[in-house]
Amino acid sequence: MSHVSSPVLRRLHDEPRAVPDSAQAHLAGCSRCQARHTTIRQDARMAARLLTAPPVTADPDLAWERLQARLRAPRPGTVAARVGRPRRMTRLSLGTGTLVTAGVVLAGAGAAAALSTVYTPTHVAPVPVSRGDLRALSSISQIGLGQLGGGLPPSGVRQLPFGTLSWTSAGPAETVTSLAQARAQTHLPVTGPASLPSGVGSLPRVMVQPKLTVTIRFSREAGGAVGGSTLVVSAGPGVVAQYGSSSGSSRLTTLVIAAVQRPVATSAGATARQLEAFLLSRPGLPASLAQEIRMLGTTALPVPVPPGMTGRHITVGGSPAVLLTGSAVATGVVWEDSHGVVHGVGGLLNQTDILHVARQIG
Amino acid sequence: MRASYVIRPGAAPPAAVPPQAAFSSFEEFFRAHYPAVVRIAASVVGDSQAAQDVAQDVFIAALRRFPDPDRCGHAAGWVRAAAAHTGLNAIRAERRRDRRQQLSGVAAAPLSPEETVLDSESRTEVRQALGRLPRRSAAVLVLRHSGLSYAEVAEAMNVKVGHVGTMLRRAESALRKELQR
Repeated sequence: MSHVSSPVLRRLHDEPRAVPDSAQAHLAGCSRCQARHTTIRQDARMAARLLTAPPVTADPDLAWERLQARLRAPRPGTVAARVGRPRRMTRLSLGTGTLVTAGVVLAGAGAAAALSTVYTPTHVAPVPVSRGDLRALSSISQIGLGQLGGGLPPSGVRQLPFGTLSWTSAGPAETVTSLAQARAQTHLPVTGPASLPSGVGSLPRVMVQPKLTVTIRFSREAGGAVGGSTLVVSAGPGVVAQYGSSSGSSRLTTLVIAAVQRPVATSAGATARQLEAFLLSRPGLPASLAQEIRMLGTTALPVPVPPGMTGRHITVGGSPAVLLTGSAVATGVVWEDSHGVVHGVGGLLNQTDILHVARQIG
Repeated sequence: MRASYVIRPGAAPPAAVPPQAAFSSFEEFFRAHYPAVVRIAASVVGDSQAAQDVAQDVFIAALRRFPDPDRCGHAAGWVRAAAAHTGLNAIRAERRRDRRQQLSGVAAAPLSPEETVLDSESRTEVRQALGRLPRRSAAVLVLRHSGLSYAEVAEAMNVKVGHVGTMLRRAESALRKELQR
């Protein structure tokens, strides 16, 4: 018999029963075919090892809801263009996304919300919030402010007066060894500054937060079109690099650099206009905050400005940014780059140093 | 005739939701094949969430093509192949973006020796190597190594079963050479 062909040797590795006995008998006595078989097997094993899919958390229920939401979303440039108000839908959707995830932004995690199918923010804008506003948001979401600061478990459920809020993460937040590893895991363009301000340690502690999905299932009692609908907001992944002090103390964080992929939100069963109207009319939400959210503009991503601080428009790397100042010790700057990644830099540094860091990485 | 698997990222959804009866049929099809499609996409893009995004695009396109998949014998193979091709589109787009960033001076910080070792066989490199392979070679690799049998790969790729071994052998050899470059 002639030598065994490479495709047959390859199939022998996977499906030996599909290979004729004659080929296997030849292989047993042919050193040349055995050598080729060894190479082929090594390549197959290497490919199998490298191409093994990472752990996948696929929820068909959630995915089906998301698919339905995409199918029902109006197509860009069709309905809106016909009525001559091409940006109306995006403006109306802003409040919804803002309200759902405002707490995350407030907590300084660098995350924010957007409705991707109907709303894509292109720049950041400051929104002053009072302590009362924070308490109201916490009360409406049934999530404590402390938890919004990073203490949320990877998944959970809260019963709301108008439905159920649940969240799930692709995995727990984890510490990685370097910014390079964080880049590889998240595909976010996060880098450290080449030159650090004095007093800042050189080796950051880097955390990776996998993508987070928040789902609100509105109960039938919510009424109208919103009753029975579902809102899904996905945010991240994100990376946070915390720098200690140059004296070697890792307890004292002097500088934080964060990057998070612009979130995506979809709705199944209700329009953005209906959701915004419903959420902004919840009892307990201050009218002034609701008005601020409504007036943000068509493509702005809100950056809440905490009490005692002021938010100022600047630019970083050509992108609009919000500079947060006024606190005795802390300063921060937030901007969204042209690839839809939201960046934040903050810490116990003066304005000059914070901007120096931001403009190196922006 | 060779099947077409071109899905443009961000393409507009179908003009209208199909009639309820067909939609129910599609929902069953979706639930039956969604996990496999996500798994295939994940082996290309290397990330669970990105894989789910790919799966959404695949099923949106599938709905346009097979509103009633029960009546179409090759819909299951089609969504599997489309998952591989759409994932490959995504990583090629990523490569283009990286190139643009390099050209605009937004270069990544140089890796330390330790980081270089850690990343030497990372998913990033594997994805980049996959992105440089001929499209059908990359697809056959992904489909086979996400658990499809030779018969299933043949159906998805629209080739004879006997040709799968040839394609696979060439693709694995090409992958090794790409990684050794």
